[in-house]
Amino acid sequence: MMIEEWRLLDTGFHDAFYNMALDEAIVVAQSKNLVPNTLRFFKWEPSAVSIGYFQGMEEEVDTITCDARGIDYVRRRTGGGAVYHDRDGELTYSLIINQKHRLISEDFQETYETLCSGLVRGLRLLEVQAEFKRINDIVVEGKKISGNAQTRGMNVVHQHGTVLLRVDPSVMFAVLKVPNEKIRDKLVKSVEERVTSLNRVLRRDVGFEELKEALTKGFEETFSIRLAEGTLIKFEEQTAAALKAEKYATREWNFKR
Amino acid sequence: MGKAQYKVEGGKLVKVQLETEGTRIKKVKITGDFFLHPEELIEELEKAVEGTTLYEQVLADRIEAFLKKNKAVLLGASPEDFARCIVMAGANDD
Repeated sequence: MMIEEWRLLDTGFHDAFYNMALDEAIVVAQSKNLVPNTLRFFKWEPSAVSIGYFQGMEEEVDTITCDARGIDYVRRRTGGGAVYHDRDGELTYSLIINQKHRLISEDFQETYETLCSGLVRGLRLLEVQAEFKRINDIVVEGKKISGNAQTRGMNVVHQHGTVLLRVDPSVMFAVLKVPNEKIRDKLVKSVEERVTSLNRVLRRDVGFEELKEALTKGFEETFSIRLAEGTLIKFEEQTAAALKAEKYATREWNFKR
Repeated sequence: MGKAQYKVEGGKLVKVQLETEGTRIKKVKITGDFFLHPEELIEELEKAVEGTTLYEQVLADRIEAFLKKNKAVLLGASPEDFARCIVMAGANDD
């Protein structure tokens, strides 16, 4: 039997609005059968905050501090929580998979576990004792190293998530709203206890490329697929540009809740 | 306007902003880091509880029925959690 081939993309650094627009553009392209199932890696420049579909922007994000520091803020098409995406500290991935694929269950929780198992395997290849933790996290020694969010629509499953290379909780809490200023320091400490990163676990500098390679292999082995480096098609680029301008970069979308 | 937030055990955070008229819900906004599929249904869900009295069981049933009718899935919170948080917001109404 021929091994199933998926497309591997590394779209590098982009701003938050284009990053979210491109995810949706790939979903649209996959729903029209224009592109194969896809694993995309990407990074954020400038650093950005993304919030979950159901969150309030003003409720979650200190937009004044973000504006002052040149940090973007964007609403995702997926639910889940607010995330600070550091330019140098995080690798983000997206999986865009046809809903009829053998890996996809009708059950969301089950599908999280299946798709996250590729990440877990990839991290273990780096000698990181990663484990999946319900609902949508990956942890090392009980501390979160990866957050993931999934949605479905147009007969396509879209899951994106983060893997932390390094963490700076003080920046995180400068851009995310805290219930009151007095507990900011406490929160920074508690994040240090609840969140970890590759650099901290492995006590060395892990590069983007090294992580990307490990995760790619993890997905290949776990999903029994081959990931072939590919490129965006014109339709995806055009759709992404349109979705950025008409949706993700607009105030209507970002402040709708 | 009443506000409340409620952390679901083993689940997500639910936040509610509420306007009431007597004992009935006039307007409600439910935010948080939960998952609802399909996402676009959140506004309809909020509409579906408007006009309902502020009783937890009534609200939970209404939300449950809405999800069922729309083949929607809620993850990280239950209809009871939404209902509880709405009632809590009602108690904080000024």
